[in-house]
Amino acid sequence: MRQLGSLVRPILEFCAALGRRLHFLVTSLTLIPSTLARPRQFVEQLFYVGSVSVILIAVGGLFVGLVLALQFYTALSRFGATSSLGGLVALALLRELGPVLTALLFAGRAGTSLASELGLMRATRQIDAMEVMAVDPMRRVVAPRFLAGILAMPLLAAIFSAMGVLGSYLIGIKMMGLDPGVFWSSMRHEVRFHADLVNGMVKSLIFGVACSLISLYEGFHARPTAEGVGQATTRSVVISSMAILALDFLLTSFMY
Amino acid sequence: MTTPSSSRQLTGSADFILPSGRNTIRVQDVDFGYGSRVVFSGLDLTVPEGQITAILGPSGSGKSTLIELMTGQKKALRGQVEVGGEEVGALSRQALYRLRRRMGVLFQDGALFTDLSVFENVAFPVREHTHLAEALIHHLVFMKLEAVGLRGAHSLYPSELSGGMARRVALARSIVLDPLIMFYDEPLVGLDPIAMGMILRLIVHLNRSLGITSVIVSHDVTEMLEVADWCYLIAEGRVQGAGSPAVIREMESPWVRQFVSGSAEGPVPFHYPSREYTADLFGKVRPA
Repeated sequence: MRQLGSLVRPILEFCAALGRRLHFLVTSLTLIPSTLARPRQFVEQLFYVGSVSVILIAVGGLFVGLVLALQFYTALSRFGATSSLGGLVALALLRELGPVLTALLFAGRAGTSLASELGLMRATRQIDAMEVMAVDPMRRVVAPRFLAGILAMPLLAAIFSAMGVLGSYLIGIKMMGLDPGVFWSSMRHEVRFHADLVNGMVKSLIFGVACSLISLYEGFHARPTAEGVGQATTRSVVISSMAILALDFLLTSFMY
Repeated sequence: MTTPSSSRQLTGSADFILPSGRNTIRVQDVDFGYGSRVVFSGLDLTVPEGQITAILGPSGSGKSTLIELMTGQKKALRGQVEVGGEEVGALSRQALYRLRRRMGVLFQDGALFTDLSVFENVAFPVREHTHLAEALIHHLVFMKLEAVGLRGAHSLYPSELSGGMARRVALARSIVLDPLIMFYDEPLVGLDPIAMGMILRLIVHLNRSLGITSVIVSHDVTEMLEVADWCYLIAEGRVQGAGSPAVIREMESPWVRQFVSGSAEGPVPFHYPSREYTADLFGKVRPA
């Protein structure tokens, strides 16, 4: 009986933890209309979440584009198919690398920032102060950041992909001497609006929901100590990263 | 229960009648604890309306927890906490928020919003709960900052304030909507004598002019006995003494005597329960 209990307990705890996160998600989603009714807080958060990540995302995208172009050019040149470089890089960025790497970088930069900010608000009793002032911290603190995170992700992913294309342009055309017309026409020929661009954006939106939710939940429920805030911040990165990779597999298997 | 009548029995005095009304707080037979640690066991007390009530007690006696029970931040394991006839623990979230709009809480560490300036911190409850014009909010905030002597610090951020200044800003924020019930959690800790005197005068002024029901949790006995209308001494999870300051000063209870005189000897232990001192010094080394 004890063995059965030790087997069942982790499953029940997992279900309870999942249930708490789902409740947090539903509450955050239901508070989005009230956030839109007071757009100033949301716009401030969108600016903050975007601005802390944009340089990292842009530089990351550029280097990924540079590396992709180098790798693909070497592989394609073996088959005499270097004219497909532009299309191949664009597909890789729009379908996979743009959304996934943006989400991973977002989790490491903006996600940790959100988790530690909320954790510190908990530790310094700012959230308690709101509660006793009859101000719902879910509405005032969580919902604007949640919505900002969701909307920032596709925008950042677009910047990542654009910078990646720029990187591949620099390698393919400026360094390897490919014809610009061939490079761009290959991209236009290969990339489809709905299947590639829209699906990539949908992926980013879903990653935005997951990253924001996990970071905000961990921060909001952090133990009110320095150690607790540190653990919450670490957990937010680890869980977000795992969730992004798992969701990417699921979404890819449904979308393509 | 330490009602007016039983308090008088306890103190042997009938010099004070506790006014009762919409803002009376009643704590009835309350049990509370953290895990295996018992904080309150059958706690009974009444906070009279429109008076200054001091909750006194040694560190760790649960004074701040009592405020958290009264404001609905924590729920009693047993018993009832009533504010104006409403049982706090049984209220829905909306009803609790309605009740809290009648309350103001001064936190021990201020709990200021670190991303907002002093002005915006004080304006925060006004912006959240009213639709006042910006000019009116400006006037209101500056009036409250003037009351706590920090009008000139309106543009500073919490990180630029001393501990005492942060407490005074927090006080301005907690009274900006003129609450009917005020909770002060250790309002005098870390204040210089001038700020301490000013805060005490402000608490008394707010109470006398607006009739605010005031609950002050503190271990500054001398100051509290000067300003309070009614005092409770709590230790070991229950009320050890209750009465007006004059009665408290004359009480024979060893708990009260030790606490009022600040003596190390008495029923309130200075040391956390432990084994013999010599055993720790010369015995087997205990793992940390």
